[in-house]
Amino acid sequence: MVSKKISVNKERLLEIFNGSSDLVVYEFETNSGIRAMICYIEGFIDKDLLDRDVLKPLILNLDKVKHIKKVIFVTQINEIDSIDQIVHEVTYGKVALFFEGSSKVYTVEINKWPKRAIEQPQTESVVRGPKEGFIEDIVTNKAMLRRKLRNNNLVFEDYLIGKQTRTKVSIAYIKGIVNEKVLQELKSRLEKIDIDSILESGYIEELIADKPLALFSTVTVTEKPDIVAGKLLEGRVAIFTDGTPHVLTVPRLLVEGFMTSEDYYLKPYYSSFLRLLRVLSLFVAIYLPGIAVALQLYHQDMIPTVLLISIAGARQGVPLPVFLETFVMVIILGLVRESSLRLPKNISATVSIVGGLILGQAAVEAGLVSAITIIVVSASAITEFIIAELAPSIIIYRLIILFLGGVAGLYGTTCGFVVITMGFVSADSFGVPYTWPIAPKDWQDLKSDTFLRLPIWKNIFRPKGIVKKNIRRQIPPWR
Amino acid sequence: MNGKLILLNLFIILAFFLTGCQDAREVQELGITLLIGIDIEDDKLVLTGEVVDPAFTQPGKGDTSQNNIVKYVQGTGNNIYEALRDLVLKFDRLLFGYHNKVIIIGEEVAKRGIVGYIDQLFRSREIRETSYMLVAKGGKAYEVMGINSGLEGIPAMHILKLIQNAKDNPKAVDMNMVNFLRHYYHEGHQTILGVMEKKKKRRINKGSQTEGTEDLELSILGSAIFNKDVLAGYLNGNDTKAVNYVMNNARGGTITFITPLPDKGERLETGTGHNNLSSLVVINNKSKNDVEIKGDKVLLKTKIRVRGFLEEVVGNIDIAKRENLRKMEEACSKAVEEGIKSTVRKVQREYKLDVFGFGLAFNKKYPQEWKKVKDNWDEIFAEADFEIEVETNIIRTGIINTPITMKKGK
Repeated sequence: MVSKKISVNKERLLEIFNGSSDLVVYEFETNSGIRAMICYIEGFIDKDLLDRDVLKPLILNLDKVKHIKKVIFVTQINEIDSIDQIVHEVTYGKVALFFEGSSKVYTVEINKWPKRAIEQPQTESVVRGPKEGFIEDIVTNKAMLRRKLRNNNLVFEDYLIGKQTRTKVSIAYIKGIVNEKVLQELKSRLEKIDIDSILESGYIEELIADKPLALFSTVTVTEKPDIVAGKLLEGRVAIFTDGTPHVLTVPRLLVEGFMTSEDYYLKPYYSSFLRLLRVLSLFVAIYLPGIAVALQLYHQDMIPTVLLISIAGARQGVPLPVFLETFVMVIILGLVRESSLRLPKNISATVSIVGGLILGQAAVEAGLVSAITIIVVSASAITEFIIAELAPSIIIYRLIILFLGGVAGLYGTTCGFVVITMGFVSADSFGVPYTWPIAPKDWQDLKSDTFLRLPIWKNIFRPKGIVKKNIRRQIPPWR
Repeated sequence: MNGKLILLNLFIILAFFLTGCQDAREVQELGITLLIGIDIEDDKLVLTGEVVDPAFTQPGKGDTSQNNIVKYVQGTGNNIYEALRDLVLKFDRLLFGYHNKVIIIGEEVAKRGIVGYIDQLFRSREIRETSYMLVAKGGKAYEVMGINSGLEGIPAMHILKLIQNAKDNPKAVDMNMVNFLRHYYHEGHQTILGVMEKKKKRRINKGSQTEGTEDLELSILGSAIFNKDVLAGYLNGNDTKAVNYVMNNARGGTITFITPLPDKGERLETGTGHNNLSSLVVINNKSKNDVEIKGDKVLLKTKIRVRGFLEEVVGNIDIAKRENLRKMEEACSKAVEEGIKSTVRKVQREYKLDVFGFGLAFNKKYPQEWKKVKDNWDEIFAEADFEIEVETNIIRTGIINTPITMKKGK
C-alpha cells in the first residue's frame, strides 16, 4: 500500500531502487499549497513535455488532487495504489505523481528514449517489396505490424517474462484465422517460462521449441513486418520481444525455409524457379562435400572417365588425403564466413577477398589443395548463402555427412540422409507436422504454394495444415 | 524395446566397420587403365595396359606432349591375374580397371580360344562388362596399342570413339564383353568380334616429313568370325555390313547402288557425268529371319526393310517424278539383295559358320527338329538355300531434286 505521506513514499522508493543514481525523485509544491512529488527514471522520459504539460499546469492550476485530469494535458493518466505496480510502471518509463495526503498515485506516460531509425534489415534485404524492418522498440514494432493489417481482428496479448529483465513479450494473431490449438499451446508454454532474463527472442525460441535439441529450428525468425503479416494470415502466431528486431512466428514448417516474401511480389514463373533452386541448394549445401569425398575415396568407378582423370590430375602432389583436405577447407570456410560476418562492412570485404580469392588461389597454386576441393566447398558455401535462414543447421549437417562419407562412402552418406530425413519427418511444431505438406501429403498446397508458386489467383486456400477454419483466402476474379 | 534398439544401433555401427576405410583409395594413386591388351608369347600370357598419367590435364604441370599422356605397362604370367600381379613389381600404381573401355585380344589368343583366358575379366568386379572387345588382326595386341591417329589425347578414347562410330557405318562391329559371351552361349549362332588393324597412312605433304618414318593409323574396318570362341577368319567391310543388316545390328550406314535409267521418252540430256552411282543414307532398317524345311534341305529367308533418304544421286534420272523414285527404291533394294546374297554365299562356302543367327530362327520355329540338327547345324547351314526380300522406302531426296549433272527442261 502507498502511504499518504510523501516522505515515507520517498524513503520506500529509494529503498526499493537501492538508491540507484538514475532514479529521479523531485518534491515540489503547487500554488494552491499541495505538496507533491514526481518520480521517474532519467533518460526514459521527455523532459520538455514533463515541464510544459505536467509540472507547469500542476504548479499553476491544481487546486484539488482529484481534479488532476482537468489540469494535465497528457493522454494517459493511471490511478495506482500498489507500490509494486508503481515500480513496474516507472521502470517502463512512466512518471509517477505522489500527493501529500492522498493514497492514490498517478502515472503519466510521456516516455521517450533514443531509438534506432527504421532501416532495411541487413539479413533480409530484398529487391522488390517493402524495405522497412523492425527495430528494438516493441511499441513501434507492433504499430508497424498494425499498419500492414488494419484490422480489428489483429490481437496483441502482452506478457512480462524474466524476473530480472521484466521483458515485455507480446503475441500477435488474427482472430478467426489463427489455429486456436497452436495459440493455446503457445500461451501455456509462455506461461511456463520461469527465467531470470530474456535478452533476445532467441531465449524464447529455445524455451518454447518442440525439439530443443534438434539441429533444425521449429520457430521462424524474421525482421520484416510484411513477412510477419503474411505468416499471421496463414494462421500463425507471432511473438514480439521488447529489445530486439527479431520477431518469432510459430508453427514453423520445413518448406518455409524455401520461401521468401519476394516470391509473392515477383512473377510466378520466376518465383517457382527460385524455390526449386533453393531446394536444390539445400541438398547441395548439405551433401555435396560428403558425396564428393565418398566418390573420390571409394567409388571412383562412378565418376565419368574424363572427370576422374582431371580430378586425378588436379590432385597430383596434394599432400593431404581428400577427406582431411575437404574437412580443412570446410573449417576454413567457416572461419572466413564468421570473420567477415562480425566485422564492419568495409573490412569484411577485404577479409572475404583475402580469405576466398587470395588464400584459395595461393593454396591451389602451391599444390596444397586441389582445385576440385575448392570448387566443391565453395559450391556448398554459395548454396548455403542462398538459404541463409537454414545456414546454422546446414553447417552441422554438412560436417556430419562429410564425416560419414569419409568413413563409409556412399553407404555413410545414405545413412546420414535417412537419419536427417527421419529427424525432419518425426518433428512437429506446436502440433503441426514439420514436413507438412510433403509428409502428410496435401496435393492442393503442394502444387499451389510449396515448391511452386502459382499465380495469386490460383492460390485460393490458406495452408490447411495450419489453418482449420476460415480457410478460403479469396474468390478469384474469374473461375 | 531398449535392447532391440541397442542391437539395431550396434548393427549400424558394425556396418560402418565392414565397409571400412580399407577400401579407400586416393584418386591420385590410381593407375587408371583404359585399354587392355591380351597376348600369348612363349605360352605365357602377356597383359599390356594403357595407364593414363593424369598430370597432363593440369596446364603447366606434367608433360602434355602426346607420347607422355599414357604409359604402357606389361606383365607376364600363366593367366591374367598372374600377369597383373607381375605388373606390381614393375609399375608403381595398381591398375584400376573400372573405367576400362576396350580389350584388345591378340590373334594368337583368338586362335586358341578366347573364353579360356578371360574368366578373370568377368569374375573380378573391376572390369565393366560393357568394355568393347576387338581382335588385333594379323598381329599382337600390343602392336596396335600406342598408335594415336585421332584428336583424342588418350589413345584408348580414340579407339572407343572409333567403335562408337560403327553406328554411322556398319562396316565394323561394336561387340562388348557381355554380348560376346551371350553369343558364345547361344546355340545356332556363331560369334563375331570387331577387329583392330594397323594401317599405313597415305602421306600428305611429303616434303615436311623426314624420310623413313612411317605414318600409321588404326582402323576397325571388318570383323572377325569365330567358331565358338576360336578365331575362324576375317570378314571384309562389305561382308560385315551385310552380316550386320541380317542380324538387325545396323543402325544407319549408307547403301550405294547404280542409278537406274528412266523410261524412254523421258530421257533427259546429261552432262558429262560418268559415275552413275547413288547413295542412300539409312535412317532405320529392320530385318526378319526365317527358315523353312523343304524336303531334306533347309531354306533360309530374310526380309529387310530399309528407310532412308538420298544423299547422292549421279545419273540420268529426274527423281522429282514419282515413278522414277520408285525405280530408285527398286535399284537400292537390288543392291542390298545382291550384297547380302554374295556374303551369305561366301560365308557358307568359306567358313561354314552361321554368323547370321539363322539357327536361332530354326530353333524357334522347329524346336523338335532343332534338337536333332543342332550339333551339325553349321553343315546344314552351309548347304542351305538362301532367299532374300528387300523393301526400300525413300522418304527424302535432299534439298535439290534433279541430279546436278542434268539440265532440266531440255
